[in-house]
Amino acid sequence: VEYGKTPEEIKTIVGNAYASLRGFNDGITISYPTGEYVFFLNEIASEEACIATKVGGGWYDGGVYLEAQKHTWTPANRMILASWRYCFEGVSKVNSVIFQVEESNLSEEQKKAINVELRGIRAYYYYQLLDMFGNVPIVTDYKNAELPANSSRKQVFEFVESELKDIVNELPSATIYARFTQNVANALLGRLYLNAEVFTGTPRWQDCINACKKVTNYILEPNYFTNFLIQNEVSKENIFMIPYDSKSGTTGNYLQSMCVQEYQKFAISRTGNYPGSPNGLLSQPGLYSSFDNNDVRKKSLLEGKQINLSTGKVILLDDGTELNYTEAIGDINAANANEGVRMYKYEVKDGEGWERDHDWVLIRYSEILLMQAECYIRLGNSELARPFVQQIRSRAGLSTPATLDLNFINNELKFEFVYEGHRRTDNIRFGDYFRPWWNKGVTSAYRGIFPIPQSVLEKNKNLIQNPGY
Amino acid sequence: QNSKVSVKVENGTLSEIFNKIEEQSEYRFFYQNEQIRDVERKSIDVNNKNILELVSDLLGSTDLTYKIVDRNIIIFPSSVKNNIDNAFQQQKSISGKVTDSSGGSLPGVSVVIKGTTTGTITDANGNYSLSNIPANATLQFSFVGMKTQEIVAESKTSINVMLVEEAFGIDEVVAVGYGTLKRSDLTGSVASVSSMNLKKGVVFSTEQLLQGKVSGLSVIQSSGDPTSTASLRLRGGTSLSASNGPLVVVDGISGVDFNTIQPSEIISIDVLKDASACAIYGSRGANGVIIVTTNSTHKGKTVKYDGYYAMGKVAKNVDLLSASQWRKYVKDNNSVGAVDYGGDTDWQKSIQQTSVVKSQTVSFSNNGEDGGSRVSLNYLNNKGAIITSGLERIGASLSGHQYALNKKLRLEAGIHSTFDKKNEINVGILNTIDFSIFQRAFNLNPTIPIRNANGEFSNISGVSYENPVEILTNRTSDNSQQRMFGYGKVELEIIKGLKGVINASYEYNSIQNRLYIPTYAVIIGQTDNGRADRSLTDFSNKQLESYLTYDIKFNGENKLNVLAGYSYLDHTYEGFGAQRRSFDTDAFSYNNLGSGQDIRATDVSSFKGRSNLISFYGRANYNYNNKYLATASLRKDGSSRFGANNKWGLFPSASLAWRISEESFMKNYSGWLDNLKLRAGYGITGNQDGIGEYKSLSLIGAGGAPYYDAETSSWKQSYGIIQNDNPDLKWESTAQLNFGIDFSVFKFINGSFEIYSKKTSNLLYTYEVPQPPYLYGTILANVGDLSNKGVELTLNANLLKKTHLSWNATLTLSHNVQKIEKLSNQTYQTDAIYSGSLHGLPGMSGQYAQVIKEGYAVGTFWGPKSIGLDKDGAIMYANNGIAQDLGNAQPKYNVGLSTDLNYKRFDFQIATYGMFGQKVLNATNMVLSDPNRMPLNNVTNSSLTSGITSNASFSSQWIEDASFLRLQNVTLGYTIDTEKIGIEKCRIYFTGENLFVLTKYSGIDPEVNIDGLDHPGMDVYNYYPKTRTISIGVNLSF
Repeated sequence: VEYGKTPEEIKTIVGNAYASLRGFNDGITISYPTGEYVFFLNEIASEEACIATKVGGGWYDGGVYLEAQKHTWTPANRMILASWRYCFEGVSKVNSVIFQVEESNLSEEQKKAINVELRGIRAYYYYQLLDMFGNVPIVTDYKNAELPANSSRKQVFEFVESELKDIVNELPSATIYARFTQNVANALLGRLYLNAEVFTGTPRWQDCINACKKVTNYILEPNYFTNFLIQNEVSKENIFMIPYDSKSGTTGNYLQSMCVQEYQKFAISRTGNYPGSPNGLLSQPGLYSSFDNNDVRKKSLLEGKQINLSTGKVILLDDGTELNYTEAIGDINAANANEGVRMYKYEVKDGEGWERDHDWVLIRYSEILLMQAECYIRLGNSELARPFVQQIRSRAGLSTPATLDLNFINNELKFEFVYEGHRRTDNIRFGDYFRPWWNKGVTSAYRGIFPIPQSVLEKNKNLIQNPGY
Repeated sequence: QNSKVSVKVENGTLSEIFNKIEEQSEYRFFYQNEQIRDVERKSIDVNNKNILELVSDLLGSTDLTYKIVDRNIIIFPSSVKNNIDNAFQQQKSISGKVTDSSGGSLPGVSVVIKGTTTGTITDANGNYSLSNIPANATLQFSFVGMKTQEIVAESKTSINVMLVEEAFGIDEVVAVGYGTLKRSDLTGSVASVSSMNLKKGVVFSTEQLLQGKVSGLSVIQSSGDPTSTASLRLRGGTSLSASNGPLVVVDGISGVDFNTIQPSEIISIDVLKDASACAIYGSRGANGVIIVTTNSTHKGKTVKYDGYYAMGKVAKNVDLLSASQWRKYVKDNNSVGAVDYGGDTDWQKSIQQTSVVKSQTVSFSNNGEDGGSRVSLNYLNNKGAIITSGLERIGASLSGHQYALNKKLRLEAGIHSTFDKKNEINVGILNTIDFSIFQRAFNLNPTIPIRNANGEFSNISGVSYENPVEILTNRTSDNSQQRMFGYGKVELEIIKGLKGVINASYEYNSIQNRLYIPTYAVIIGQTDNGRADRSLTDFSNKQLESYLTYDIKFNGENKLNVLAGYSYLDHTYEGFGAQRRSFDTDAFSYNNLGSGQDIRATDVSSFKGRSNLISFYGRANYNYNNKYLATASLRKDGSSRFGANNKWGLFPSASLAWRISEESFMKNYSGWLDNLKLRAGYGITGNQDGIGEYKSLSLIGAGGAPYYDAETSSWKQSYGIIQNDNPDLKWESTAQLNFGIDFSVFKFINGSFEIYSKKTSNLLYTYEVPQPPYLYGTILANVGDLSNKGVELTLNANLLKKTHLSWNATLTLSHNVQKIEKLSNQTYQTDAIYSGSLHGLPGMSGQYAQVIKEGYAVGTFWGPKSIGLDKDGAIMYANNGIAQDLGNAQPKYNVGLSTDLNYKRFDFQIATYGMFGQKVLNATNMVLSDPNRMPLNNVTNSSLTSGITSNASFSSQWIEDASFLRLQNVTLGYTIDTEKIGIEKCRIYFTGENLFVLTKYSGIDPEVNIDGLDHPGMDVYNYYPKTRTISIGVNLSF
């Protein structure tokens, strides 16, 4: 039976391109953008997070996380493979959907409208490849089975830019939930230009501001955490997101489940009705204390003694010690169960399942504001930056300092987007990435991008490894 | 020995009547055809008559008489008694005595001067005498059923001759696929096991019957779970991912589920081993073929009852700390935060019980001249050694056959079925939920009581602390499986020698799963507020086999048999499942899914698939003078599973055999060499089992990808391409060269020696492919070559054969060497495939223990080599811990040794089997020996003295030699004299199974899973232990 001829069938096929954003676990890699390889890679490589090996050897897993923490990864690191495969499986899926739409009985006009959205999703994947791997092959034809060669990072940049510019005016101008609209394209262009100097050597600050200005119809939610509710589709701030609904069968959205110690459940539910939590991702020492105590965003992190709801006493671990999340982590090779401040950003409540229903936030309006602020500062006009910064600061319950400089904006980005997967890119753009931090020495410039994964190189001899690896 | 027979013959010749008697007894008749040819035809109808009385009656009106020698009844003319006196008066004569191998005199033997009609026959004492013999004469001594002997007279005046029976075994009829052959006419490698020799005692699965019985065939029963089946592997296995099990052919129908057939119905199993024997099965023959013949034509009326009762206990547990040992450790080490819960629990024993197996089989058969029928019924109840687990099986078989058209037409129909009810320890339908029962039992602190003071299951919170007794007790998992296989067969002799056969069959196999996890169950039950789950999946095979065979004899010495056929297979599978969560009451269990309140999109599913296989085949067997034999076969298979570019496969074979012992120049050795045959064969067979339906195509499917539709604010299912297409997809192809020697020496030993070399190319594997350009990271493709080379020896010995005492023994021995020759081709490049996943073990997510790599066998352990402990007790590694070859999980030698001893009414059997030279990763010990687990999780006793302080980490430290020899079965039986009370046979027996295992392996059992060739030899701490079992049984026949 041939499938994919009618508009109704095509709709279900285009839905598949959006569904691809949730990633996959196919037994080779766990490639969820929200999960322990793709998301963690970017988080651990930044100053924000780490995965320490636990006492007893848990979370050692062949040393993949320690390599990411210490910036000593090799092309064999499976987190890197997981990230590569997330992006390229997404690219290939979008290409296959473009092909199927072309083969359908739709009118040219209908095809065009769908085509631009699909190219937008593909550009989103390529933006991530540009950011993580730099010199990647550009593949747009589903039917072409030849083994592709790399394009340079500059060519990839130009591809993303031209695709987005090409489609932006053809995309829906309305705000449609979780769809690739004009606003999403402009926001992504903003990100692209903000990092243009890193990607190509040529800064594009003004282009970033111009793109951001075209993003309309969004506001800052008065409550920062509205954006991270289980029902966060009410947010008028979230611009692009990956929707999840576990009852409809979505999988992969379990990051918030796996950040706390198992007995945390007694602090959430009187009956302990909260999924077993593998106690994985920890905040690097220094992150928590860098927040101002009055900053509402500090509640994105969980620190201190945890109280059992039914006894009112501090929860005890199996070995009789208190469940008290400490900022300090004694030994990255043998951390205790309670060490490390935890991510606690998405809403947590009694009766949650392992798979969560909150939609995963990719782009928020506050990013549009802070991108413009950063560009104005970089262009030497910090006063133009101030109105953007003030909106963000006042929502966080903080005043705006007299001097707005790059150091300030760097920190503000950390506070605003903590655990949203931005930090590695920001660290690179501000240069901190290459300087030593906790359990990491000086990082060579070539590690600003990840290597092409070893197993991909072995199978495609036309690919050339990124320089330095 | 069965000394009474019931015979009904109308107007039959003496030899026809003798044949009937032979069918029902162990007596054999010896006679010269000419001497009985003229006896007039007789009609007899006797019931339960003593054989010797019957023979006396038959010969009463003739001038023949008889003599009993052992179990041989020798018929000879009464007149020969008188010949002797005359003979001694002749001049230039030769005289002598003819005896059989046990020394008894043979009367009636024909002694002829070769090339003349001059001759005589031996008298009642085996004596003969011949006169007027030329100097260069050769005397020929012949007798039906005995090997003819020729002796040159020369100047001898006395020649004594010992005649031997045709070597035992060589007249046995062997199933070869689409027909049968006498063993002496075989050119390929075929091993046969009769029902007498199948495994006795408690069998979990029909496969297990063959354990240790066929050289080169490994039967691995890795689990003690009564619901599990054994895996079969012939000559090392040829596939990385596709099935490595041989094709099972039941009564001419291929691909039947072995467990559809009750063990009681099997009369013989023939195992086709080399390519020349298997090539007639084409794309399904690469892993060998097992041909099962079921009981349908045993002559006479029989009523049989067989029953046994068995009890067993888990044979071995891991030596973990007891509560008192745990407390001592905590005290001695002043362990911080150790919590003593006050109990004293052996968690391994807490989930174990005495297994009890009860089996009863009743059968009736009634077969006469024109047709017959057979019915059998079996009931088996196997309560497993782990609480709540078990299997209940009802088996039924019915078959009948009828002759018509003056015996030219034979019609047969039959049905075999088994109905199983299973209680398994891992539950689940849409996804199997492994509750890790054994892992939890290993983990738990021994001071935790099973139940607390209130009588409730104690439930110390924590993932690794769930109470396995609670898990097993509080969930209901009833699965049932129905297997049914029915066939109808028509055989017509069109003209003399030309026979047509049509065999049509239908096989249906369904599994129904039912699960309820109540609202109070700690895992899943409480979070889901109850979950009920049901599913039905089934498959059916419709098959037609049709073929013609033609036997021709020409120029006296030439025999040719040709076969041509066509077969069609339609395989369909389908199923559906549904689950619901959130129940207000547990009262409905799984019987009212609709009362669950929590409705999810993924809670219902259904599917269907279908494939076809069409085949044309032909074979020719040529026999020149019973000395030179040749076979050639060809099969062409077309399968819907193959890719568009490779729809049809061709599978040829050829083989030759030479019966050297039939050559006249070998007569000088006839004193000790009874039979010697050389065989050589080459052929190509295929394996298409690893290709599921539609695997070559670019499929559109849901693949679990719902999407949010903003226009309707609702979730909908999306569809997309769900696999990489591969239009080149095809079967794995195995070319095999085999040399064999069959021999029979010293009158009591026979055997076979085989040497083979197999090369499998186009290996099917789910290869990782580069993204881009591939849509998905894997593709099912044919890449790489794998070789297996080996030798096999089978020896049977009749060590003693006296009237009241007999003793025989069988030895099987095989050796196989496997190597991955290639893993890449033009399109797909792979240096190594990592396998043997350690995912799920603490700190080992994404880690692997084995590698599939060119130059190595599959199952090669690959990791750091440990070289002892440093001063802190940390394990040190060679070469900075760089991974290296740590040995292989496949056995170098497989051995089976069994022996039968009969003394008067006693019978005694011992069966053992073993595997040698294989390595096993004792991951159980690797995890449980981590001292850092204390005091939260239990550890092995040995870890307290090992000095190791390292966390659990994979290395050669935990790889052990797992060579073993298992005393699989010891049976002592006694047959009670019940003939006087009208019971033909009454035997009672006692059997002990798995009584001990000789091994240096430190884990629970060295025989671990080999399923999925890509990761054998992993003892990963969560499997059902085997039991040591004692049973008592009775066999009755009326």
